[in-house]
Amino acid sequence: MSLSVARPLVSVYSEKSETVQGAAKPLPFVFKAPIRPDLVNDVHVSMSKNSRQPYCVSKEAGHQTSAESWGTGRAVARIPRVRGGGTHRSGQGAFGNMCRGGRMFAPTKPWRRWHRRVNLRQRRAALAAAVAATGVPALVQARGHIIEKIPELPLVVADKVQEINKTKQAVIFLRRLKAWSDILKVYKSQRLRAGKGKMRNRRRIQRKGPLIIFNKDQGLTRAFRNIPGVELLNVNKLNLLKLAPGGHLGRFVIWTQSAFGRLDPLFGSWKTPSKQKKNFNLPQPKMANTDLTRLLKSDEIRKVLRAPNKRVIRATRKLNPLTNNKAMLKLNPYAAVLKRKAILELRRRKNLKALADAEKSGLKLSKRNPAMKAEKLRERRRKNIKEALAKKPKKPVAKKTPPPPKKKADKKPKAEKAVKPKADKPKG
Amino acid sequence: MQHDDVVWAIINKTHCSHKVTTKTQQFCRNEYNLTGLCSRSSCPLANSKYATIREENGIIYLYMKTAERIMFPAKQWEKVKLSRNFEKAIHQINENLLYWPAFIKAKCKQRFVKITQYLIRMRKLKLRRVKELVPIQRKIERRERRREEKALVAARIDNAIEKQLLERLKKGTYNDIYNFPQMAFDAALKAEEISDESESEKEDEDEVEREIEPELERELEKAVEQTDEFVEADSDIDSAEESDSGRKENVDVNSDFESETSDIEDVADSVLRKKKPRVEIEYETESVASVSKKKLKH
Repeated sequence: MSLSVARPLVSVYSEKSETVQGAAKPLPFVFKAPIRPDLVNDVHVSMSKNSRQPYCVSKEAGHQTSAESWGTGRAVARIPRVRGGGTHRSGQGAFGNMCRGGRMFAPTKPWRRWHRRVNLRQRRAALAAAVAATGVPALVQARGHIIEKIPELPLVVADKVQEINKTKQAVIFLRRLKAWSDILKVYKSQRLRAGKGKMRNRRRIQRKGPLIIFNKDQGLTRAFRNIPGVELLNVNKLNLLKLAPGGHLGRFVIWTQSAFGRLDPLFGSWKTPSKQKKNFNLPQPKMANTDLTRLLKSDEIRKVLRAPNKRVIRATRKLNPLTNNKAMLKLNPYAAVLKRKAILELRRRKNLKALADAEKSGLKLSKRNPAMKAEKLRERRRKNIKEALAKKPKKPVAKKTPPPPKKKADKKPKAEKAVKPKADKPKG
Repeated sequence: MQHDDVVWAIINKTHCSHKVTTKTQQFCRNEYNLTGLCSRSSCPLANSKYATIREENGIIYLYMKTAERIMFPAKQWEKVKLSRNFEKAIHQINENLLYWPAFIKAKCKQRFVKITQYLIRMRKLKLRRVKELVPIQRKIERRERRREEKALVAARIDNAIEKQLLERLKKGTYNDIYNFPQMAFDAALKAEEISDESESEKEDEDEVEREIEPELERELEKAVEQTDEFVEADSDIDSAEESDSGRKENVDVNSDFESETSDIEDVADSVLRKKKPRVEIEYETESVASVSKKKLKH
């Protein structure tokens, strides 16, 4: 914003609101000064205290009695009471802020510090910021001015305006510039103040209209001063209270050509100090380029950053392996084998028990009974295995100690397991 | 572009005249705002590149604003008329906002849809006959009612009616016997007496001569005699009664009315003026003689 500014040309408008050819001026550097709402507000607050008139209560208010406390023992509060008798007033409390007719707490004194001094640098910086803000259409609109139809912002008008001395002409001029709608808004906002200000000579209020800044008054003030809302200002005596009313930036300003030309020598630039103000240079901004969104997307910055970590780690729920089969398998794949084995074992035992019970009780189980089926299947398999073994050509095999004879229960499941793939259907 | 973030920081933190805050949300009353909410991406002041859809008189336009034209508020907004065909209009929007941020494109289309919908609804409503609800303004109603009452009182209708009737009587529109209630009769007589007193002074000055018919004259004389009698007999006590009784002794009105319709008014006036109040009205009470006798008895 500061060091490498593009300075657009601002065209000058005649009083008939046509561009004056060849009289375009480059934007003064002030308009690129850093806009600091905080600074402007602080300075405005302090500056507006400077036109106050002191107020206070009377020095003797509440003390114009010779009251004395009755002390203890009289069954009354110990507040000083008025002496004497014969009136209502006698015996009443006096002197305290809680007493009727007593003095107030902390009576206001005229030697209160009414005025504030502001540092020169701050004042100047605030002024520069306020002037800069008048050149930003967004801020002017946000402050509430109606500038929809004006030709350009900042609005510079030819010097002939300074010679207008009839209000009628002034109105025509404002209409031609399309600034009249702002003044209409002022008209609509005229109302009575709320509160006691009404009886203190502050009866009517209205909003602010455009501010006209001139260099040489040749009747201009008298022509415009009766138009409600319009204020006039000499460029050599710029006033922050008028440029940022209420501490809010962005007043609608109409500059005359010579006034506009005075801004550069008044404020200077960053390189050249101001001619008018001693030891003054425009304040340095904190950010040269204020477009933060653009900066963050720019290559220069992006290049230096590490790649973004787009991986989203979400918290997973822990599943109990003892109850959840999948979780168990993840941890111990062999568990499947063990489980399966246990299931088959269980089934086998059940079948055998059924058969044994049937034998014992003498009942004959039906063919369809699963125990019978299982038994049948086992027999069949045994037969098949024997046949298969018999068919196989006998090789001279090294004598191996045969495995120790296992229990019937164990053997069968193994045999079944071996035959399992050939089985038609799983038992059950 | 440069200023956008600065502007937003200022507008958001300090003061924006278009911002409306409620407990849960912030709204933007700027007429070019796309969504109606106050936020960084939908603030027309804080975005130098912005587009909106607005309708004017039923025609929908696409408004666009770019950073180059910000400094010229009059030429800032570029206006594109959208076609009446919905699909074509969407195409137009797409075409015009080709390389624009997705947010603005999406919101423009949404707003366009909403506007077309409400325009359709408006057109439908216009076709239907809508009962317009007019609210009753309580203050005005109260005021008008009170004023009516006052006007009623101020008109004094009773008096006007009375006058009218009397006038009609005098004119002779009521040819026949007319019954009067006693009170009204007395009141009228009293009124006439008062006016008569004041007028008698006037008459001395004016000396207006009136023609009286002979019959009436006789009756008048009779009445005068009778009143005179009363005066001689009981002057102090019966003065009031005298006048009353005098009134009661009335001339038969019928004959008078029938005979002298033209001069009735004059006669009536003269009678009323010259004498103690004597309205020419037939009165169905005691005859003259009986009344006088009664008086003498006292």
